[in-house]
Amino acid sequence: MPTTAHQLNAELATLVERVERSLVQVRNGRRGVGAGTVWHPAGLIVTSAHVASDGPLRVAFPNGGSLPARILAHDPDRDLAALVVDATGLPTIEVGRSRDLRPGQLVLALGHPWGVPGAITTGVVVGVGSDLPGMPHSRQPWVVVNVRLRPGHSGGPLIDAQGRMVAINTLLTGPAMGMAVPVDVVKAFLREAMGVRRVAA
Amino acid sequence: MANTLLDLSNELAESVSTAGNAVVRVEARRRLPASGFAWSHDGVIVTAHHVIEHEDNIRIGLPGGDAVPATLVGRDPATDLAVLRVQGASLPSPTWAEPESVRVGHLVLALGRPGKSVLATLGIVSALGESWRTPAGGQVHRYLQPDVAMYPGFSGGPLVAATGQVIGLNTTALLRGATVTIPAPTIRRVVEALLAYGKVKRGHLGVAVQPARLPAAIAKQFRQETGLLVTSVEPGSPAERAALVLGDTLVTFAGEPVRYPDDLLALLSGDRVGTTVPVQVLHGGRLQEVKVTIGERP
Repeated sequence: MPTTAHQLNAELATLVERVERSLVQVRNGRRGVGAGTVWHPAGLIVTSAHVASDGPLRVAFPNGGSLPARILAHDPDRDLAALVVDATGLPTIEVGRSRDLRPGQLVLALGHPWGVPGAITTGVVVGVGSDLPGMPHSRQPWVVVNVRLRPGHSGGPLIDAQGRMVAINTLLTGPAMGMAVPVDVVKAFLREAMGVRRVAA
Repeated sequence: MANTLLDLSNELAESVSTAGNAVVRVEARRRLPASGFAWSHDGVIVTAHHVIEHEDNIRIGLPGGDAVPATLVGRDPATDLAVLRVQGASLPSPTWAEPESVRVGHLVLALGRPGKSVLATLGIVSALGESWRTPAGGQVHRYLQPDVAMYPGFSGGPLVAATGQVIGLNTTALLRGATVTIPAPTIRRVVEALLAYGKVKRGHLGVAVQPARLPAAIAKQFRQETGLLVTSVEPGSPAERAALVLGDTLVTFAGEPVRYPDDLLALLSGDRVGTTVPVQVLHGGRLQEVKVTIGERP
Protein backbone atom coordinates (compact mmCIF):
# COMPACT_ATOMS: atom_id res chain seq x y z
CA MET A 1 0.00 0.00 0.00
CA PRO A 2 1.54 3.35 -0.97
CA THR A 3 2.06 5.63 1.97
CA THR A 4 1.65 9.38 1.78
CA ALA A 5 5.43 9.91 1.97
CA HIS A 6 5.91 7.41 -0.85
CA GLN A 7 3.35 9.28 -2.93
CA LEU A 8 4.99 12.64 -2.10
CA ASN A 9 8.40 11.36 -3.16
CA ALA A 10 7.07 10.02 -6.45
CA GLU A 11 5.29 13.29 -7.21
CA LEU A 12 8.34 15.38 -6.33
CA ALA A 13 10.62 13.28 -8.54
CA THR A 14 8.20 13.55 -11.48
CA LEU A 15 7.81 17.29 -10.97
CA VAL A 16 11.56 17.92 -10.79
CA GLU A 17 12.22 15.79 -13.88
CA ARG A 18 9.67 17.79 -15.86
CA VAL A 19 10.75 21.25 -14.75
CA GLU A 20 14.51 20.71 -14.94
CA ARG A 21 14.33 20.37 -18.71
CA SER A 22 13.76 24.14 -18.81
CA LEU A 23 16.57 25.00 -16.41
CA VAL A 24 19.73 26.34 -18.06
CA GLN A 25 23.08 27.55 -16.84
CA VAL A 26 24.32 30.99 -17.84
CA ARG A 27 28.07 31.04 -18.48
CA ASN A 28 30.52 33.83 -18.90
CA GLY A 29 33.38 32.26 -20.82
CA ARG A 30 33.94 28.90 -19.10
CA ARG A 31 32.60 30.06 -15.75
CA GLY A 32 29.02 29.38 -14.65
CA VAL A 33 27.57 32.63 -13.33
CA GLY A 34 24.01 31.60 -12.55
CA ALA A 35 20.85 29.97 -13.76
CA GLY A 36 18.12 30.79 -16.25
CA THR A 37 14.80 29.47 -17.47
CA VAL A 38 13.52 28.74 -20.97
CA TRP A 39 10.49 30.99 -21.42
CA HIS A 40 9.82 30.52 -25.15
CA PRO A 41 10.71 27.54 -27.37
CA ALA A 42 12.33 29.83 -29.96
CA GLY A 43 15.27 30.62 -27.69
CA LEU A 44 14.02 33.16 -25.13
CA ILE A 45 15.69 32.73 -21.73
CA VAL A 46 14.92 34.77 -18.59
CA THR A 47 17.46 35.29 -15.83
CA SER A 48 18.65 37.87 -13.29
CA ALA A 49 20.31 41.08 -14.48
CA HIS A 50 23.23 40.48 -12.11
CA VAL A 51 23.82 37.08 -13.74
CA ALA A 52 23.90 38.51 -17.26
CA SER A 53 25.90 41.60 -16.38
CA ASP A 54 28.70 41.28 -18.91
CA GLY A 55 29.51 39.00 -21.81
CA PRO A 56 30.42 36.99 -23.78
CA LEU A 57 27.56 34.88 -22.49
CA ARG A 58 26.68 31.30 -23.28
CA VAL A 59 23.68 29.26 -22.23
CA ALA A 60 24.25 25.60 -21.33
CA PHE A 61 21.37 23.16 -21.57
CA PRO A 62 20.67 20.10 -19.39
CA ASN A 63 21.56 17.78 -22.30
CA GLY A 64 25.11 19.09 -22.31
CA GLY A 65 24.96 21.41 -25.30
CA SER A 66 25.56 25.13 -25.15
CA LEU A 67 24.86 28.12 -27.37
CA PRO A 68 26.08 31.71 -27.47
CA ALA A 69 23.52 34.15 -26.11
CA ARG A 70 22.86 37.82 -26.72
CA ILE A 71 21.16 40.16 -24.29
CA LEU A 72 17.72 41.22 -25.50
CA ALA A 73 16.85 43.31 -22.44
CA HIS A 74 18.59 44.12 -19.18
CA ASP A 75 17.01 45.89 -16.19
CA PRO A 76 19.20 46.26 -13.08
CA ASP A 77 16.33 47.93 -11.14
CA ARG A 78 14.13 44.86 -11.34
CA ASP A 79 17.21 42.61 -11.56
CA LEU A 80 15.92 40.93 -14.72
CA ALA A 81 17.45 40.07 -18.07
CA ALA A 82 16.17 38.42 -21.22
CA LEU A 83 18.62 36.42 -23.33
CA VAL A 84 18.17 35.04 -26.82
CA VAL A 85 19.84 31.94 -28.25
CA ASP A 86 19.54 30.65 -31.80
CA ALA A 87 17.34 27.61 -31.22
CA THR A 88 13.87 26.22 -31.75
CA GLY A 89 11.72 23.71 -29.91
CA LEU A 90 13.27 24.31 -26.50
CA PRO A 91 11.25 22.83 -23.59
CA THR A 92 9.54 25.78 -21.88
CA ILE A 93 8.48 26.10 -18.30
CA GLU A 94 4.82 26.46 -17.40
CA VAL A 95 4.25 29.99 -16.12
CA GLY A 96 2.05 30.65 -13.08
CA ARG A 97 0.75 33.82 -11.42
CA SER A 98 2.60 35.36 -8.49
CA ARG A 99 -0.41 37.39 -7.33
CA ASP A 100 -2.02 34.09 -6.27
CA LEU A 101 0.86 33.14 -3.96
CA ARG A 102 -0.05 32.57 -0.32
CA PRO A 103 2.18 32.54 2.78
CA GLY A 104 2.91 28.97 3.81
CA GLN A 105 2.53 27.36 0.41
CA LEU A 106 5.29 25.04 -0.79
CA VAL A 107 7.82 26.22 -3.37
CA LEU A 108 10.94 24.73 -4.94
CA ALA A 109 13.99 26.66 -6.10
CA LEU A 110 16.02 25.35 -9.05
CA GLY A 111 19.54 26.40 -9.90
CA HIS A 112 23.22 25.57 -9.59
CA PRO A 113 24.16 26.48 -5.98
CA TRP A 114 27.95 26.83 -5.66
CA GLY A 115 28.12 25.42 -9.19
CA VAL A 116 26.32 22.15 -8.43
CA PRO A 117 24.32 21.69 -11.62
CA GLY A 118 20.57 21.23 -11.56
CA ALA A 119 20.09 21.27 -7.80
CA ILE A 120 16.70 21.68 -6.18
CA THR A 121 15.77 22.93 -2.73
CA THR A 122 12.42 23.42 -1.09
CA GLY A 123 10.63 25.63 1.42
CA VAL A 124 7.63 27.90 1.67
CA VAL A 125 6.50 31.37 0.69
CA VAL A 126 7.00 33.72 3.66
CA GLY A 127 5.10 36.59 2.09
CA VAL A 128 4.69 38.74 -1.00
CA GLY A 129 4.94 42.52 -1.09
CA SER A 130 7.09 45.60 -1.44
CA ASP A 131 7.04 46.64 2.22
CA LEU A 132 7.94 43.52 4.13
CA PRO A 133 10.13 44.13 7.19
CA GLY A 134 13.85 43.67 6.78
CA MET A 135 13.66 44.21 3.05
CA PRO A 136 15.83 46.57 1.00
CA HIS A 137 13.97 49.73 0.06
CA SER A 138 12.33 49.39 -3.31
CA ARG A 139 8.96 49.97 -4.85
CA GLN A 140 9.07 46.59 -6.53
CA PRO A 141 7.18 43.67 -5.00
CA TRP A 142 9.20 40.63 -3.91
CA VAL A 143 8.42 37.08 -3.04
CA VAL A 144 10.17 36.36 0.26
CA VAL A 145 10.91 32.65 0.59
CA ASN A 146 11.97 30.40 3.43
CA VAL A 147 14.33 28.56 1.08
CA ARG A 148 18.10 28.03 1.29
CA LEU A 149 19.10 30.12 -1.72
CA ARG A 150 22.82 30.18 -2.49
CA PRO A 151 25.08 31.77 -5.11
CA GLY A 152 24.25 29.98 -8.36
CA HIS A 153 20.52 29.89 -7.69
CA SER A 154 20.23 33.41 -9.12
CA GLY A 155 18.19 33.57 -12.32
CA GLY A 156 16.70 30.11 -11.79
CA PRO A 157 13.00 29.48 -11.43
CA LEU A 158 11.02 29.29 -8.22
CA ILE A 159 8.16 26.89 -8.84
CA ASP A 160 4.96 25.99 -6.99
CA ALA A 161 3.64 22.52 -6.11
CA GLN A 162 2.29 22.15 -9.64
CA GLY A 163 5.59 22.95 -11.32
CA ARG A 164 4.58 26.41 -12.47
CA MET A 165 7.16 29.17 -12.39
CA VAL A 166 6.04 31.79 -9.87
CA ALA A 167 9.25 33.84 -9.42
CA ILE A 168 12.95 34.14 -10.28
CA ASN A 169 15.45 33.38 -7.50
CA THR A 170 17.38 36.58 -6.92
CA LEU A 171 19.19 36.94 -3.62
CA LEU A 172 19.74 35.34 -0.26
CA THR A 173 19.00 37.42 2.81
CA GLY A 174 19.73 34.86 5.52
CA PRO A 175 20.77 31.24 6.00
CA ALA A 176 17.26 30.00 5.21
CA MET A 177 15.78 33.11 3.65
CA GLY A 178 15.80 34.58 0.19
CA MET A 179 14.05 36.93 -2.18
CA ALA A 180 12.68 36.26 -5.64
CA VAL A 181 11.26 38.48 -8.37
CA PRO A 182 7.53 37.68 -8.83
CA VAL A 183 6.71 36.17 -12.21
CA ASP A 184 4.07 38.88 -12.80
CA VAL A 185 6.94 41.40 -12.78
CA VAL A 186 8.83 39.17 -15.23
CA LYS A 187 5.82 39.16 -17.58
CA ALA A 188 5.65 42.97 -17.54
CA PHE A 189 9.40 43.18 -18.14
CA LEU A 190 9.16 40.86 -21.16
CA ARG A 191 6.19 42.74 -22.60
CA GLU A 192 8.25 45.92 -22.44
CA ALA A 193 11.29 44.14 -23.86
CA MET A 194 9.23 42.99 -26.84
CA GLY A 195 7.93 46.51 -27.34
CA VAL A 196 4.39 45.62 -26.34
CA ARG A 197 2.61 48.47 -24.60
CA ARG A 198 0.19 47.62 -21.89
CA VAL A 199 -3.34 48.60 -22.83
CA ALA A 200 -5.91 49.17 -20.11
CA ALA A 201 -8.77 46.76 -20.61
CA MET B 1 -4.25 11.61 -10.33
CA ALA B 2 -3.84 12.16 -6.62
CA ASN B 3 -1.78 15.23 -5.91
CA THR B 4 -0.46 14.93 -2.38
CA LEU B 5 2.13 17.65 -2.89
CA LEU B 6 -0.45 20.18 -4.00
CA ASP B 7 -2.84 19.14 -1.22
CA LEU B 8 -0.10 19.59 1.37
CA SER B 9 0.83 22.99 -0.07
CA ASN B 10 -2.80 24.13 -0.03
CA GLU B 11 -3.33 22.87 3.52
CA LEU B 12 -0.25 24.73 4.76
CA ALA B 13 -1.43 27.96 3.13
CA GLU B 14 -4.92 27.43 4.57
CA SER B 15 -3.48 26.88 8.07
CA VAL B 16 -1.55 30.14 7.76
CA SER B 17 -4.62 31.98 6.58
CA THR B 18 -6.88 30.62 9.35
CA ALA B 19 -4.45 30.96 12.26
CA GLY B 20 -3.27 34.28 10.83
CA ASN B 21 -6.67 35.83 11.61
CA ALA B 22 -5.63 35.85 15.27
CA VAL B 23 -2.08 37.16 14.68
CA VAL B 24 -1.41 40.86 15.28
CA ARG B 25 1.43 43.34 14.92
CA VAL B 26 2.80 44.66 18.22
CA GLU B 27 4.29 48.15 18.03
CA ALA B 28 6.06 48.74 21.33
CA ARG B 29 9.67 49.33 20.37
CA ARG B 30 11.56 51.81 18.26
CA ARG B 31 12.92 49.45 15.65
CA LEU B 32 10.97 46.75 13.85
CA PRO B 33 7.52 45.87 15.27
CA ALA B 34 6.99 42.33 16.57
CA SER B 35 4.07 39.90 16.70
CA GLY B 36 1.42 38.68 19.10
CA PHE B 37 -1.86 36.81 18.93
CA ALA B 38 -5.33 36.83 20.41
CA TRP B 39 -5.72 34.86 23.63
CA SER B 40 -9.45 35.41 23.96
CA HIS B 41 -12.01 37.13 21.76
CA ASP B 42 -12.50 39.98 24.27
CA GLY B 43 -9.28 41.72 23.30
CA VAL B 44 -6.63 39.96 25.41
CA ILE B 45 -3.43 39.52 23.40
CA VAL B 46 -0.31 37.56 24.29
CA THR B 47 3.12 38.55 23.06
CA ALA B 48 6.77 38.31 24.11
CA HIS B 49 7.98 40.40 27.06
CA HIS B 50 11.23 41.37 25.32
CA VAL B 51 9.49 43.10 22.41
CA ILE B 52 7.74 45.57 24.76
CA GLU B 53 10.34 48.29 25.09
CA HIS B 54 7.96 51.15 25.88
CA GLU B 55 4.85 50.56 27.98
CA ASP B 56 3.09 53.76 26.89
CA ASN B 57 1.67 54.28 23.46
CA ILE B 58 1.55 50.59 22.49
CA ARG B 59 -0.26 49.99 19.23
CA ILE B 60 -1.66 46.80 17.78
CA GLY B 61 -1.97 46.17 14.05
CA LEU B 62 -5.09 44.10 13.40
CA PRO B 63 -5.45 41.55 10.58
CA GLY B 64 -7.98 43.83 8.87
CA GLY B 65 -5.39 46.60 8.56
CA ASP B 66 -6.48 48.92 11.39
CA ALA B 67 -4.05 49.94 14.11
CA VAL B 68 -5.54 50.41 17.60
CA PRO B 69 -4.09 51.45 20.97
CA ALA B 70 -3.41 48.76 23.57
CA THR B 71 -2.64 48.77 27.28
CA LEU B 72 -0.10 46.57 29.01
CA VAL B 73 -1.85 44.23 31.46
CA GLY B 74 1.43 42.86 32.75
CA ARG B 75 4.62 41.08 31.86
CA ASP B 76 6.66 38.15 33.12
CA PRO B 77 10.33 38.45 32.17
CA ALA B 78 11.01 34.97 33.56
CA THR B 79 8.93 33.30 30.83
CA ASP B 80 9.30 36.18 28.31
CA LEU B 81 5.53 36.62 28.15
CA ALA B 82 3.46 39.80 28.18
CA VAL B 83 -0.28 40.41 28.06
CA LEU B 84 -1.90 43.34 26.28
CA ARG B 85 -5.50 44.44 26.04
CA VAL B 86 -7.23 46.25 23.20
CA GLN B 87 -10.62 47.88 23.73
CA GLY B 88 -13.51 47.27 21.42
CA ALA B 89 -11.67 45.02 19.01
CA SER B 90 -12.93 41.53 18.54
CA LEU B 91 -10.35 39.02 17.36
CA PRO B 92 -11.00 35.35 16.76
CA SER B 93 -9.21 33.38 19.46
CA PRO B 94 -7.14 30.62 17.91
CA THR B 95 -7.84 26.90 18.00
CA TRP B 96 -5.29 25.22 20.27
CA ALA B 97 -3.58 21.93 19.61
CA GLU B 98 -3.88 19.16 22.19
CA PRO B 99 -0.47 19.38 23.95
CA GLU B 100 -0.07 15.59 23.80
CA SER B 101 -0.64 15.53 20.04
CA VAL B 102 2.65 17.34 19.30
CA ARG B 103 5.49 14.99 18.33
CA VAL B 104 9.12 15.41 17.27
CA GLY B 105 9.23 15.55 13.47
CA HIS B 106 5.81 17.12 12.97
CA LEU B 107 5.59 19.89 10.40
CA VAL B 108 5.04 23.28 12.03
CA LEU B 109 4.73 26.88 10.85
CA ALA B 110 5.96 30.00 12.60
CA LEU B 111 3.63 32.94 12.00
CA GLY B 112 4.22 36.63 12.45
CA ARG B 113 2.82 39.97 11.41
CA PRO B 114 5.66 42.48 11.69
CA GLY B 115 4.15 44.38 8.76
CA LYS B 116 0.66 44.52 7.30
CA SER B 117 0.28 40.92 6.20
CA VAL B 118 0.77 37.64 7.98
CA LEU B 119 4.05 35.90 7.17
CA ALA B 120 5.03 32.27 7.64
CA THR B 121 8.04 29.96 7.75
CA LEU B 122 8.03 26.17 7.81
CA GLY B 123 10.00 23.68 9.87
CA ILE B 124 9.58 20.70 12.13
CA VAL B 125 9.39 20.09 15.86
CA SER B 126 13.07 19.42 16.68
CA ALA B 127 12.97 18.60 20.36
CA LEU B 128 10.44 17.97 23.08
CA GLY B 129 11.35 17.59 26.72
CA GLU B 130 10.25 17.73 30.30
CA SER B 131 9.36 20.89 32.14
CA TRP B 132 12.29 23.28 32.44
CA ARG B 133 13.35 26.48 34.11
CA THR B 134 14.47 29.44 32.03
CA PRO B 135 17.75 31.19 32.91
CA ALA B 136 15.59 33.99 34.37
CA GLY B 137 13.86 31.51 36.69
CA GLY B 138 10.57 30.96 34.89
CA GLN B 139 8.90 27.56 35.08
CA VAL B 140 7.89 26.25 31.67
CA HIS B 141 5.52 23.30 31.44
CA ARG B 142 7.41 21.59 28.60
CA TYR B 143 10.53 22.11 26.51
CA LEU B 144 9.62 22.59 22.85
CA GLN B 145 12.16 23.58 20.22
CA PRO B 146 11.18 23.98 16.56
CA ASP B 147 13.69 24.49 13.72
CA VAL B 148 11.59 27.20 12.07
CA ALA B 149 13.40 30.27 10.76
CA MET B 150 12.39 33.32 12.76
CA TYR B 151 11.88 36.18 10.29
CA PRO B 152 12.60 39.64 11.79
CA GLY B 153 9.67 40.55 14.06
CA PHE B 154 8.41 36.98 14.53
CA SER B 155 8.98 36.89 18.31
CA GLY B 156 5.66 36.78 20.15
CA GLY B 157 3.92 35.05 17.24
CA PRO B 158 2.45 31.55 17.38
CA LEU B 159 3.88 28.19 16.42
CA VAL B 160 1.14 26.54 14.40
CA ALA B 161 0.75 22.86 13.55
CA ALA B 162 0.63 22.09 9.82
CA THR B 163 -3.02 21.23 10.46
CA GLY B 164 -3.72 24.77 11.70
CA GLN B 165 -3.90 24.57 15.51
CA VAL B 166 -1.78 26.84 17.69
CA ILE B 167 0.91 25.03 19.72
CA GLY B 168 2.48 27.92 21.62
CA LEU B 169 4.32 31.24 21.47
CA ASN B 170 7.73 31.57 19.80
CA THR B 171 10.58 33.55 21.31
CA THR B 172 14.25 33.91 20.49
CA ALA B 173 15.10 35.70 23.73
CA LEU B 174 14.90 32.93 26.34
CA LEU B 175 17.83 30.86 25.07
CA ARG B 176 20.86 32.07 23.19
CA GLY B 177 20.92 30.83 19.60
CA ALA B 178 17.67 28.83 19.77
CA THR B 179 14.01 29.45 19.21
CA VAL B 180 11.81 27.98 21.90
CA THR B 181 8.05 27.74 22.01
CA ILE B 182 6.20 28.48 25.25
CA PRO B 183 3.42 25.88 25.38
CA ALA B 184 -0.24 26.63 26.08
CA PRO B 185 -0.37 25.49 29.75
CA THR B 186 2.45 27.89 30.65
CA ILE B 187 0.85 30.75 28.72
CA ARG B 188 -2.44 30.03 30.50
CA ARG B 189 -0.80 30.13 33.95
CA VAL B 190 1.01 33.39 33.21
CA VAL B 191 -1.98 35.06 31.51
CA GLU B 192 -4.26 34.19 34.43
CA ALA B 193 -1.74 35.55 36.96
CA LEU B 194 -1.19 38.73 34.96
CA LEU B 195 -4.93 39.31 34.49
CA ALA B 196 -5.54 38.75 38.22
CA TYR B 197 -2.52 40.50 39.81
CA GLY B 198 -0.70 42.30 36.98
CA LYS B 199 2.37 40.22 37.71
CA VAL B 200 3.52 36.66 38.31
CA LYS B 201 4.17 35.98 41.99
CA ARG B 202 7.77 35.07 42.77
CA GLY B 203 9.41 34.22 46.07
CA HIS B 204 11.92 36.64 47.55
CA LEU B 205 14.77 36.10 49.99
CA GLY B 206 16.74 39.35 49.77
CA VAL B 207 20.30 38.08 49.36
CA ALA B 208 22.96 38.22 46.70
CA VAL B 209 24.90 34.96 46.44
CA GLN B 210 27.73 33.37 44.56
CA PRO B 211 28.89 29.74 44.44
CA ALA B 212 31.66 28.92 46.94
CA ARG B 213 33.55 25.68 47.60
CA LEU B 214 32.37 23.95 50.79
CA PRO B 215 34.86 22.68 53.43
CA ALA B 216 35.85 19.06 52.75
CA ALA B 217 33.93 17.60 55.70
CA ILE B 218 30.70 19.38 54.80
CA ALA B 219 31.15 18.55 51.11
CA LYS B 220 31.49 14.89 52.00
CA GLN B 221 28.56 14.91 54.42
CA PHE B 222 26.20 16.53 51.89
CA ARG B 223 27.81 15.06 48.74
CA GLN B 224 27.87 18.62 47.45
CA GLU B 225 30.97 20.49 46.22
CA THR B 226 29.62 24.04 46.43
CA GLY B 227 27.18 26.14 48.43
CA LEU B 228 26.07 29.74 48.05
CA LEU B 229 28.14 32.44 49.73
CA VAL B 230 26.00 35.38 50.83
CA THR B 231 27.61 38.56 49.49
CA SER B 232 24.92 41.01 50.59
CA VAL B 233 21.72 41.07 52.62
CA GLU B 234 18.94 43.51 51.82
CA PRO B 235 17.77 45.50 54.89
CA GLY B 236 14.33 44.43 56.13
CA SER B 237 14.30 41.37 53.87
CA PRO B 238 13.21 37.82 54.83
CA ALA B 239 16.93 36.92 54.93
CA GLU B 240 17.73 39.65 57.45
CA ARG B 241 14.75 38.68 59.63
CA ALA B 242 16.13 35.12 59.65
CA ALA B 243 19.49 36.55 60.83
CA LEU B 244 21.42 35.57 57.71
CA VAL B 245 24.53 37.71 57.41
CA LEU B 246 27.25 38.55 54.93
CA GLY B 247 29.73 35.65 54.75
CA ASP B 248 27.23 32.90 55.55
CA THR B 249 27.18 30.00 53.08
CA LEU B 250 23.82 28.42 52.23
CA VAL B 251 24.10 24.61 51.88
CA THR B 252 20.47 23.53 51.60
CA PHE B 253 17.21 25.42 51.18
CA ALA B 254 13.85 23.81 51.97
CA GLY B 255 15.61 20.46 52.11
CA GLU B 256 17.19 20.79 48.64
CA PRO B 257 20.89 21.32 47.86
CA VAL B 258 21.79 24.79 46.59
CA ARG B 259 24.98 24.50 44.53
CA TYR B 260 24.42 27.39 42.10
CA PRO B 261 22.32 30.58 42.17
CA ASP B 262 19.84 28.96 39.71
CA ASP B 263 19.08 26.27 42.28
CA LEU B 264 17.97 28.92 44.78
CA LEU B 265 16.01 30.81 42.11
CA ALA B 266 14.15 27.63 41.23
CA LEU B 267 13.21 27.04 44.85
CA LEU B 268 11.81 30.58 45.25
CA SER B 269 8.65 29.79 43.30
CA GLY B 270 5.46 31.80 43.73
CA ASP B 271 3.62 29.05 45.64
CA ARG B 272 6.23 29.24 48.44
CA VAL B 273 5.49 32.90 49.26
CA GLY B 274 4.49 33.17 52.93
CA THR B 275 5.72 29.69 53.84
CA THR B 276 8.53 29.03 56.32
CA VAL B 277 11.31 26.70 55.20
CA PRO B 278 14.46 25.33 56.90
CA VAL B 279 17.83 26.55 55.62
CA GLN B 280 21.13 24.86 56.48
CA VAL B 281 23.86 27.45 56.57
CA LEU B 282 27.57 27.62 57.41
CA HIS B 283 27.92 30.46 59.89
CA GLY B 284 31.41 31.19 61.19
CA GLY B 285 32.47 27.73 60.01
CA ARG B 286 29.67 25.94 61.87
CA LEU B 287 26.63 24.33 60.36
CA GLN B 288 23.35 25.77 61.64
CA GLU B 289 19.72 25.47 60.67
CA VAL B 290 17.61 28.62 60.48
CA LYS B 291 13.97 29.14 59.52
CA VAL B 292 13.18 31.59 56.74
CA THR B 293 9.73 32.92 55.88
CA ILE B 294 9.76 33.51 52.12
CA GLY B 295 8.60 36.94 51.03
CA GLU B 296 7.16 38.10 47.74
CA ARG B 297 9.41 39.70 45.17
CA PRO B 298 8.39 43.34 44.81
